[in-house]
Amino acid sequence: MTAKNILLADDDPEDKSIIQDAMETLHSADVMRFADNGQHAWELLEQYCAKDFVPCLIVLDLNMPKMNGAQTLAKIKDDSRFKNIPVIIYSTSINPLEKERCLSLGAHAYFTKPVSFKESVETAKKFLAFCERESLAQE
Amino acid sequence: MHEIARVTLENEMDLILAHRRSMRLGEVAGLSLAAQTSFATAVSEVARNTIEHGKSGCLVLQVEVESRDTYIVACINDEQLEDDYNRQGLSYAKRLVDKYNVTTKGAETSIELFYSVSPAFKIDIHKLDEWRQLFRNEPPVSAYDEIKRKNEQLQELSEKLKKSEAQYKTLTGSLPLIIFSIDTEGQLLYANEWLTRLTGFTADGLNTSGWKAIVYEEDYPSFSLLLKSNIRQGATTVKTQTRIRHKVGNDYLWHQVSLSPLTDDKGALLYWIGYIVDIHAQKVVEETLKDNAELKQTQEELKRNQQTLEQYIEELNRSNHELQQFAFVASHDLQEPVRKLLFYSDFLMSRYASAIDKKGLDYLNSMQAAAQRMRNLIHDLLTFSQINREEVRFKEVDLNKIVADACQDFEMVIEEKGATLHIATLPTVWSDERMMRQLFENIISNSLKYSKPSEKPVIDISCEVKDKTIELRFSDNGIGFNQNYLPQMFTLFQRLHTRENFEGTGMGLAICNKIVEMHGGKIWAEGKEGEGAIFYVSLPLKAAGN
Repeated sequence: MTAKNILLADDDPEDKSIIQDAMETLHSADVMRFADNGQHAWELLEQYCAKDFVPCLIVLDLNMPKMNGAQTLAKIKDDSRFKNIPVIIYSTSINPLEKERCLSLGAHAYFTKPVSFKESVETAKKFLAFCERESLAQE
Repeated sequence: MHEIARVTLENEMDLILAHRRSMRLGEVAGLSLAAQTSFATAVSEVARNTIEHGKSGCLVLQVEVESRDTYIVACINDEQLEDDYNRQGLSYAKRLVDKYNVTTKGAETSIELFYSVSPAFKIDIHKLDEWRQLFRNEPPVSAYDEIKRKNEQLQELSEKLKKSEAQYKTLTGSLPLIIFSIDTEGQLLYANEWLTRLTGFTADGLNTSGWKAIVYEEDYPSFSLLLKSNIRQGATTVKTQTRIRHKVGNDYLWHQVSLSPLTDDKGALLYWIGYIVDIHAQKVVEETLKDNAELKQTQEELKRNQQTLEQYIEELNRSNHELQQFAFVASHDLQEPVRKLLFYSDFLMSRYASAIDKKGLDYLNSMQAAAQRMRNLIHDLLTFSQINREEVRFKEVDLNKIVADACQDFEMVIEEKGATLHIATLPTVWSDERMMRQLFENIISNSLKYSKPSEKPVIDISCEVKDKTIELRFSDNGIGFNQNYLPQMFTLFQRLHTRENFEGTGMGLAICNKIVEMHGGKIWAEGKEGEGAIFYVSLPLKAAGN
């Protein structure tokens, strides 16, 4: 069963709060689930799976300790339980090569982190749109 | 027949000697006194005849050892025909000996008188040697005998010398080198045949014409010094190398000249003897080896230089790579805090604007503008650091698509400024698509940015295919530039205009330059202040090696 939950893995608490703020603006304060790094995200995914529900979207920062975004992405796409969950890479890097690499690993999209409040709300909207689409596809 | 002693027969004194020696031979051969007398008398008879009538007579006392009989033999040689003189002495002599023999050979007559020795008397090689020794060492019987012996020795010596000289002459004549003697004045005293065979000059001829006739002009001074000065000063062996003219073909061939002083017993210099030998082949080999050695040395030096150069290149590459890594990491990590600065200042302005006074809002605006500039700088620095050889991915790139994409990116600015772009049909170029896009964007953005406030920008993009390169031409009607600034225009962080007037990081053209360089092309510009600028980019149609 797919829950209307978005799992965001990011080691930066400020970035997490920026997205949380944007979600609150969009009256979706309860959607977000946060992990501190890739490994933590994986652990959470295992737990969700045990309880038989998975998030509708996984958002990964690239530069994280323990297990970085690309490694986590690869692991997710290699596991039959999670490989159908859409993954968005969410990074400061504007390096086009990085983007190419992530897309080739199976990421659905590559978002650069917002530089304005307006942008952060736009980003949150797009996350939610992904979730909606996923939920529709499930039904 | 074994020779024991010899007596020349010239006068009466010789006759006495011949008699004495014959007696003595008989004595040592163990003959009785009577027998000795008979043999000696017979010899005397024949010898007298020879002395009186013959010519260049000679008595040779010998021993003949046959299987059964042994004889002492007196052989009288005479260079006169037997018939020419009275033989009465001979007939007497015949009766006194056991056997005799007369032989003629050409003009020479030989009379041999044999006297038998007792078979009991053993004669062997040792005995013969002993006898020879005896006759040689026998004290002279008279003053005449003494003189005569000395005379004979001298004669013998002279003959040996003559023979030896003849041998040496033949030898030196046949040697393929010049052997010569020369006096202290440098005049040739003797030279072997080779001088003439090699140079065409005889010793006398050369004395008349001088050495200059056969010595190579360039070598003559040192040769002349050797001849004129060194040998007069009485040096020891002197040597020099000089080229001497060959009479066949008139070629000058390398020769070694060596001179050694010949002195008398007291060490006084008599004259010089020397040789001149052909060392041309050796010299040629030497020269070749020397050339080879020089070549080798040059090669080694080149190799060393190359190694040093390779080391430098390696070091440069390493340092370049490190700098690139640094630029990448630095710009990547700097993005994070800059983004936060931008976000939070924006957050304040959008959510708390009403709570901040005008000055506070101005400062907040300035902060945001500064953060934005920094973000652009970091962005460009990152782009610059990512343009390197490893990142270039060549493929066929349609420049028409590139320019269309760029125009789309600038759609808003173009509309805002009312700019017109004239774009010719462009070719497909073997290049990196991403970098080409960057190149076109940077140049077009430049033209849009540096437009005159009073005029709507007009940008022309055209292209000319030249041999194996294409030349792209971007011209505009903007503010132009002073041609003096051309050299620094394409280097990092060079701004021609103040930031107040024109936005920019000062990296755009440096990035263009690096991209073009990576593609083996060239970028340059023409311009005049207030009269627009033209940027040229020439690129190989196919990259080298493709």
